[in-house]
Amino acid sequence: MFEFFNQPEIIKIVVIIGSMTLFFVGLFGLLTQKHLIKIFMSVAIMESGLFLLFIGLIYKQNALAPILTDNQQGFINMNDPVPQAMILTAIVIGMAVLALGVSFAIEYHKLTGKTDIDEITSLRN
Amino acid sequence: MNLKRDISTSTFSGFALSASLILTFLNVLLNNIPTNITRVGDQFLKLNGSEGVANAVTTVVVYFRGFDTLGEIAVLFIASLGIGLMLDSNTRCNLKADSNFMLKTASQLLFPIIILFGIYVMVYGHLSPGGGFQGGVIIASGVLLLLISHKEFEVPHSVITLLETFAGISYVLIGLIGLVVLDKFLGNFLPHNISDMGMLLSGGIIPIIYIIVGIKVGSEMSMITQNLIKRSDDV
Repeated sequence: MFEFFNQPEIIKIVVIIGSMTLFFVGLFGLLTQKHLIKIFMSVAIMESGLFLLFIGLIYKQNALAPILTDNQQGFINMNDPVPQAMILTAIVIGMAVLALGVSFAIEYHKLTGKTDIDEITSLRN
Repeated sequence: MNLKRDISTSTFSGFALSASLILTFLNVLLNNIPTNITRVGDQFLKLNGSEGVANAVTTVVVYFRGFDTLGEIAVLFIASLGIGLMLDSNTRCNLKADSNFMLKTASQLLFPIIILFGIYVMVYGHLSPGGGFQGGVIIASGVLLLLISHKEFEVPHSVITLLETFAGISYVLIGLIGLVVLDKFLGNFLPHNISDMGMLLSGGIIPIIYIIVGIKVGSEMSMITQNLIKRSDDV
């Protein structure tokens, strides 16, 4: 029953729908949540949706990982290494930037005792 | 009635906006599924054989996009610097619960193995899945285990400063040597024969640069975890 899902177009459609759903779950949280830490968590969920989209869109049927082993004759019939390399660095950078944002939230809570973005009115007059 | 404070209104409008955006994006993406396009990755795979590195992702990260990786290392350094400035590190651990004897012993047993595995992933980054970014994060996870289990443990600040400075300076120096020798920044000036492909000593400067990236990522991630755990606040 899973042969239907083994076609490349169907796999791409599933990847696109799933990753964009994950992205917009994060966007929904970003728009509706009031707590600072929850907002940063929503941004992290949006990031993971984008990573899945990048990796999923380069899927090729029966292609190999772009690493040469003993059984192969050269760099033929392999997946695209460029999106993998980009996402590899983007994950580490995303983690560091998320930690920076969380540290800003911690410091703000330490200074004022507030975490709700509706109560952050220090710059409004 | 204050509409801004009404939770149901904001939830509804957020849901409507997300739903309309997801329909628009799905319409665009599903109507333009890329099937047979000429990709830059195919050209990179053809060029990859001339560098003598078995892992094509490593070649793309370190060699073809080496200047970009230098910029990403700089972004990581700036984020680590910002966290260090915001949360001034304290010797007092912020965790409430005490760790028991079993956790302490097991973490002492596991820490050298985690560090060894991280170094293995870093050094074999040009032959197998892995590399500097992954190995550095594995080493930082070992440091995180020690920070959770041992409250008196502290990452030595002078060692981290030395490692980070060494890694940053040597990355730029290797790039400048390539500029002098081969007339291009980050040129591969060390011997990189195709016949050596699959050996530990192959690929010229590519494994050296990936080890440098691993040292920098590992030290910065360790400092970030320490700054987030040992905060100097009372809440």
